[in-house]
Amino acid sequence: MIIRPIETRDLPALYAMATHAGVGVTTLPANEALLAERIARAVDSFAHAREGHPGHYLFVLEDTATGRVAGVCGIDACVGQEDVWYNYRISTTVNACAELAIHQQTPTLYLTNDLTNRTELCSLFLEPDYRHSSNGLLLSKSRLLFLADFPRYFSDKVFAEMRGVSDAQGRSPFWESLGKKFFSMDFSRADYMTGVGSKAFIAELMPKYPIYVPMLAPEAQAALGQVHENTRPALAMLESEGFNFNGFVDIFDGGPVIEAFTNNIRAVGESVRRHAMVVRNKPERPRDDSDPYLLSNRSFSDFRVGLVSGNAIHQDTVYIPAELAEPMQICSGDIVRMVSLRNHRRMQT
Amino acid sequence: MLIVRPAAQGDAPAIQKLVGEHPAKVTTLSSHSDKLEERIELSCQSFANSTSASAPGRFLFVLENTASGEVVGTAGVDVAAGHGSPFYNYRQDELIHASHQLGIHNRVPVLYLTHELTGKSLLCSFTLAPALRDTEAFKLLSRSRLLFIGVFSALFSEELIVEIQGVQTATGESPFWNSLGRHFFNMDFATADYYSAVKSKTFIAELMPPHPIYVPLLTPEAQAAIGHAHQATEASCQLLYREGFRMGKHIDIFDGGPVLSAWRSHVTSISSMQRKRLRVGSVNAGMRYLACNTQTSGFRCVIAQLTDGLGDVIRVQPQVVEALGLADNDAIVFSPL
Repeated sequence: MIIRPIETRDLPALYAMATHAGVGVTTLPANEALLAERIARAVDSFAHAREGHPGHYLFVLEDTATGRVAGVCGIDACVGQEDVWYNYRISTTVNACAELAIHQQTPTLYLTNDLTNRTELCSLFLEPDYRHSSNGLLLSKSRLLFLADFPRYFSDKVFAEMRGVSDAQGRSPFWESLGKKFFSMDFSRADYMTGVGSKAFIAELMPKYPIYVPMLAPEAQAALGQVHENTRPALAMLESEGFNFNGFVDIFDGGPVIEAFTNNIRAVGESVRRHAMVVRNKPERPRDDSDPYLLSNRSFSDFRVGLVSGNAIHQDTVYIPAELAEPMQICSGDIVRMVSLRNHRRMQT
Repeated sequence: MLIVRPAAQGDAPAIQKLVGEHPAKVTTLSSHSDKLEERIELSCQSFANSTSASAPGRFLFVLENTASGEVVGTAGVDVAAGHGSPFYNYRQDELIHASHQLGIHNRVPVLYLTHELTGKSLLCSFTLAPALRDTEAFKLLSRSRLLFIGVFSALFSEELIVEIQGVQTATGESPFWNSLGRHFFNMDFATADYYSAVKSKTFIAELMPPHPIYVPLLTPEAQAAIGHAHQATEASCQLLYREGFRMGKHIDIFDGGPVLSAWRSHVTSISSMQRKRLRVGSVNAGMRYLACNTQTSGFRCVIAQLTDGLGDVIRVQPQVVEALGLADNDAIVFSPL
């Protein structure tokens, strides 16, 4: 299993994943022309690294045994450059009058463009039959090594929009109580329109004045800042890396935005560089159940991430089996970056 | 005979009783005797100084049955709504949320908190004894203050306004309040209404949220209540509509009741008003009119039968002349009932 930049030939696989992803994974609309365009942009971004450029990076998880593409994840280097990026910020309005013994705090939503120019982790999807072993962690965290290796192309802080609450029919209580009142459109339709590039158009139809949360339906209030059940593992994973809710929510489904300073991300800060030593003989059997390590080849345009056993790491070198080194384009002597896949410190506490 | 005259200090107990009996809420007339006496005092000062345009006056009239000496109704005019403080309303407005690309064109009603009615002359504080509600006394009391405005027009704004009580449920709940104000006060409508009366309406209004309110986010019951009058105000509304008052874009911030407004010079009672010199005499036939004098503290208004002719002199029955505190050759103002 390795992570590599997306290529033009991955379109059928990406389209298949988009159709499987369904409502709520906004950045993966099931629209072939649009996905082809996104691949083209990603290919261009990997080919021409530019600072301050709204680079759009897509990575895929490839099963090296079968050649199948089983997952996708992305980084948007700089959101809100080509269109307008909207979020609600959850703020507080206080109504106080000592004489009448009133001290009423009212959560209030302000429409903002505050996250403009920031780097977003996006487009995460893993095919259901691959949701085992460490595939999900490998897929999602591989991006963090890309950030660690090439920080100058990204903002100091990175965020991820977590999918908000919706029911089995794709209905979002937050949308039903807010967005839908402003234009008669189902959440799934609005979500699709957003994915195909009309988010700014839709956002312009959203209410511009602050929204007093108590005026929303109770179900919508309950959904505010909460994630979809299927997104809980992804949330827990990013939280374990140091991401926290930053007070912003999605304007459509009310899902939370979580954020971290790149420097403070566990996988970035704890990652180390080692010389690679490609070993052709069978690797020694693990002496213990040591946790796997994420390993990146530190190449920008041919970026690869794979997993190695903790036993393979020595003082200055890491022993990489040839069958992994080859697809990862690593030769002996190369400097690679690595970090433990899981946050052990957090697991102990 | 029923006459309208300025309220006097001794009227407070009778007014308290009237406020208690009135089917609609009268937030501008406190049922607390201290506040009420203060209000009457202010009214007396307003009538005494009514020729000067210093502090904004608050005129309070009472309807008195001269036979019994009983006070059976009240009506007020505030020269300047807010009395120097901001006078709050929501203004109903609309935003267009449209996109050609998405094929969407939505009109979104919005409520903006506004002070723009501050300083307009406000009709208020209307109460009437239950027994007189379906009689001519209702017109006499309500319209007498319009004649007063017509006579002393320089004191009042060009546009006159009146706040009509909004919709309530059978249990006295206000659906508009429950969907909006309640979130910010954590108290029911009756409590807020009480504070509004004992403190001031501005005091409470300034605790309301400052941002515009999207109407589609209100409950359906609250939306339905916007700009709708309490059924107890039906007769008042009908009279005001006949006088030329219309509902505009403004509503009450607490219960969503409508604000009616009219241009002073277009108000029927005022535009149909005539001023002539009176000649005491007998009147055997003729139409019924509202008739008043042109005094301030001595203001009186009654219903009289008059025969209006072409000249600038009109004959008036002695008991009417006496009730108005006038004498031969004095000016009298009248308007068809």
